[in-house]
Amino acid sequence: MSLLTMILKMSEGLGKTCAIFFLTLLFSLPLGMIVALLRMSKNRIVSFVTRFFITVLRGTPLMLQLLAVTYGPYYLFGAGVSRNKLIPVVIAFSINYAAYFAEIYRGGIESIPVGQYEAAQVLGYTRFQTFMRIILPQVVKRIMPSVTNEVVTLVKDTSMAFTVSYQEMFTIGKQIANSQTSFMPFIVAGVFYYLFNLIVDRVMGRIEKRLDYYK
Amino acid sequence: MPEMKKERSEAILAIRGLQKSFGETAVLRDISLSVEPGNVVSIIGPSGSGKSTLLRCASFLETADGGDILYDGQYALRDGVYASKGDLNRFRTLFGMVFQSFNLFPHYSVMKNICEPPVLRGKDREETREKAVELLRKMGLEGKENAYPCQLSGGQQQRVAIARALALEPEILYFDEPTSALDPELTGEVLKVIRQLADDHMTMVVVTHEMPFARAVSNRVIFMDGGYIVEEGHPEEVFGDPKQERTKQFLANYNR
Repeated sequence: MSLLTMILKMSEGLGKTCAIFFLTLLFSLPLGMIVALLRMSKNRIVSFVTRFFITVLRGTPLMLQLLAVTYGPYYLFGAGVSRNKLIPVVIAFSINYAAYFAEIYRGGIESIPVGQYEAAQVLGYTRFQTFMRIILPQVVKRIMPSVTNEVVTLVKDTSMAFTVSYQEMFTIGKQIANSQTSFMPFIVAGVFYYLFNLIVDRVMGRIEKRLDYYK
Repeated sequence: MPEMKKERSEAILAIRGLQKSFGETAVLRDISLSVEPGNVVSIIGPSGSGKSTLLRCASFLETADGGDILYDGQYALRDGVYASKGDLNRFRTLFGMVFQSFNLFPHYSVMKNICEPPVLRGKDREETREKAVELLRKMGLEGKENAYPCQLSGGQQQRVAIARALALEPEILYFDEPTSALDPELTGEVLKVIRQLADDHMTMVVVTHEMPFARAVSNRVIFMDGGYIVEEGHPEEVFGDPKQERTKQFLANYNR
């Protein structure tokens, strides 16, 4: 198999790689905020349960979580394994990344000086207005570097979908590598991920720059 | 609102028997004071005497344990029990607060810092803008409308914070050590602005360590120590001829 055919075949999986990537961000970024708020809840039970889930999601391999979400329903309830593996893959990724984002958000929220809340309260902002207008924008700026880290990791983690044979780029590459007994597909995959992350880096850098207008 | 009946008092703020503890430590023990319209009251005293806590209780940033707080003769706190959330929000429109650390919103321009709160309260956007420009001129900050707090000196930031509080047209303005984070030069420009407000008969309570300023600007000085009001009176009395031993001691340390 020529290098070009290899590259073309693997690019066919790039759409699916992108699907995992964008859908995971779409769901995990807001879900992480909900988890962070639950984690900081004054209700001790809510906060404790949330903390427990975060430790499980961060303390067990993503690969295991992928397997659990994809095949768990079959083993537990005898339900059929869904034909479209994208759904369980995105669910597993979203939940896993939400746990990480939640802790990043929490760190960001807790780093905002209490004086910001006090000023807002005296000025008549409601709690919701205070969060949306005063706290959240400052949190976003502060956590950008950590979020970028996670997003870069996510690009590479999409390769984990091979464990449930979802036909994204890396899974295809692995199949070619097996049938051709060649290491070349892995090098191609590496280049793909690197280029993908170059773009991610650019985009995140631009967002950070846009938030650079203050302190 | 049946329990809202007016007390016969002209005071904007009246506090009676206010108590506040942090855990085991009593910070305010039986504080009473009232502030009439147009008056400037300075609160002085050593660190930890309860001055700031008093202001923070008056502005609902701390929850008092006992006593009364009345605004315009209406109870915000009665015998240690707070009025409803809605009433407290209504009382919040009566006072403004200037903090030691300014607490401007760093992601907002000067203009937005000043204009957003009134606009959120339903004030006309254009009118608010015009008033903000006027306030900035008064604060000696014309041309800073589009600057961000991080581009301003501490003194300028504090003057923006004062403008932000004034934009809501409060009946009474609280200052919690407004110059403690500033060097002497910047302190001067902020005190000048507060003095101007006093000349315009703005009602104010100022917690401060600036003794000459307190003496020159206020109608009444309160000396606090250990959670009590030790002495109060006209600034010339308190500074010129203090009656209490503790006041003498405190002022002597200052004049050294």
